[in-house]
Amino acid sequence: MRSRRLERDGIAPYLFLAPLLVLLSAFILYPVVMNLVASFTEWKGYGPMKWIGAANYRSMLVDQAFWTSIQNTAILVCYIPFSVAITVFVSALLREGLRGWQAYRAILYIPNLLGLVIIGAVFSIYLRDDGPLNLALKWAGGPTLRFLTSPWLAINSVAVIKIIWIHLGFGLIYFLAAMNGIEQGVYEAAIIDGAGFFQTLWSVTVPSIRFAIQFWVVFNFIEVFARMFSLVYTLTQGGPGYATFTLEYGIFVMGFTKFRAGYSSAWSTVLFLFCAVISVMQIRLMRRDRA
Amino acid sequence: MRKASSISAGWRVLVQVLMVVLVVASLLPLYNVIAASFKSADEFVNNPFFPPESPIAGNYAYAIVSARLLRFAVNSLILVPLGLVLYLAVCICAGYAFGKMRFRLRLPLFLLVLFLTIFPQLLLATQVFKLISLLHLVNTGAGVILTWVAYFAPFGTYIMTTYFTDMPYELVEAARMDGASPLRILVQVMTPLAAPMIATVAIIGFQSMWNELPFSLLILQNQGSRTLTLGIAMMRGEYGIRVPILSAAVVIAMAVPLIIFLIFQRRITLGVTAGAIKG
Repeated sequence: MRSRRLERDGIAPYLFLAPLLVLLSAFILYPVVMNLVASFTEWKGYGPMKWIGAANYRSMLVDQAFWTSIQNTAILVCYIPFSVAITVFVSALLREGLRGWQAYRAILYIPNLLGLVIIGAVFSIYLRDDGPLNLALKWAGGPTLRFLTSPWLAINSVAVIKIIWIHLGFGLIYFLAAMNGIEQGVYEAAIIDGAGFFQTLWSVTVPSIRFAIQFWVVFNFIEVFARMFSLVYTLTQGGPGYATFTLEYGIFVMGFTKFRAGYSSAWSTVLFLFCAVISVMQIRLMRRDRA
Repeated sequence: MRKASSISAGWRVLVQVLMVVLVVASLLPLYNVIAASFKSADEFVNNPFFPPESPIAGNYAYAIVSARLLRFAVNSLILVPLGLVLYLAVCICAGYAFGKMRFRLRLPLFLLVLFLTIFPQLLLATQVFKLISLLHLVNTGAGVILTWVAYFAPFGTYIMTTYFTDMPYELVEAARMDGASPLRILVQVMTPLAAPMIATVAIIGFQSMWNELPFSLLILQNQGSRTLTLGIAMMRGEYGIRVPILSAAVVIAMAVPLIIFLIFQRRITLGVTAGAIKG
């Protein structure tokens, strides 16, 4: 690296970093550390903390809401391969120079602009038992589907909306950019060899964008573990029952509506461990890319 | 873009059909909300799907005035730009330090920033709220702005860092030969050159803050201090708010991000790939 030969910049870089480091220490590092402490206490979120050892963790392991949250997270994770398959497939179709591909890319990106709160509100209307989609289904002679009020359908609705419906447009821009970097000559050679669309996709496109695919998977993991709250809050409020709880939503309910902040901190420890693993995976991808 | 294609003309028609299906699936929920916003409560019950037979504007009047959406929009339009200025200052300074300066702790600190980019708001919320209470900043704009900037700055810093790292080092050397201080180099030389990436980071930051829910939910507890996003989220939870009124509120809230998209479409598209790795 260049920096080894040249002298250091003294105190100036630390001054430039000071605002960021102060904010990070106060609003991210300190909370993460204090959560761990609080998870061993009985605490309302205000007032005194009382040390109770691992009791919160024991309660958590027999809490149905906790295991439902874990199970829901697993269901959300199961949608990630579909997200990869659909976005890569549609990107590959658009890459063929389909008429209107830029318009499709722009329109399908719209859900990403709106933010999870608006989307949650939109689907809370769209998927009501007596809402537009159910009326259309009835009109077509289908059954009424209780998208948000039957436990099993509700978590799958959340998953489809977030992992498939919202992410598609984001993935298209991302994968089209990645595919743009592939040499045109490789495709021409494949066509001369008589390779069809799927053969080209599998043997040329996918191997060429494998780093992008890995990044996309990690991105989806981040969204599943760390970016679901706003959607769940506005779409189902965690219900029916605990049916759409995620770890984030559980922390919110335990900490801020039941005022069991010590207990919710035990959930936070679990969420922290998952996020730490994902974060390390992401850093490794970023560093390999910049190397 | 005319490219060598492995899809025959016949299949192209089928692919176009598939794309139209995807577009319809994307827009149908939005269309339905827009349609609902022009219906009376009675009409929505009988006709949730098709366009309104006798469109009314009353839902908008109710949402803006009685449900205080105008107030919430003004709050957002004050808080988000203020937060954005602070956010950009923090990200540019830190990004420049990581990207173009040499110091002993550069790598460990940069890895720490990367490590902290993904933690969810709810993981931090209990302690952040305690801290905000301690500083007497509950229900204040300052409280929510500080929290937003702290939470979103690591990602913005990462993007700025990658950009500054790729800029030629000779620019800094030349300015330093002229005797310019580090702050002068940053403000007068590097920042103008980094303007395109700063614009991208600004849009990412704007969207992040504009759509932020958990922190504003906890910090802005007075009804009058709600942001537009928080207002919509709370309206959704309030009993007695009718679907057409909620729909009108949602349509109003959709307008701002959509207008920004129409103006900055190209830059937003670039922003999607800025934070991600190259293929």
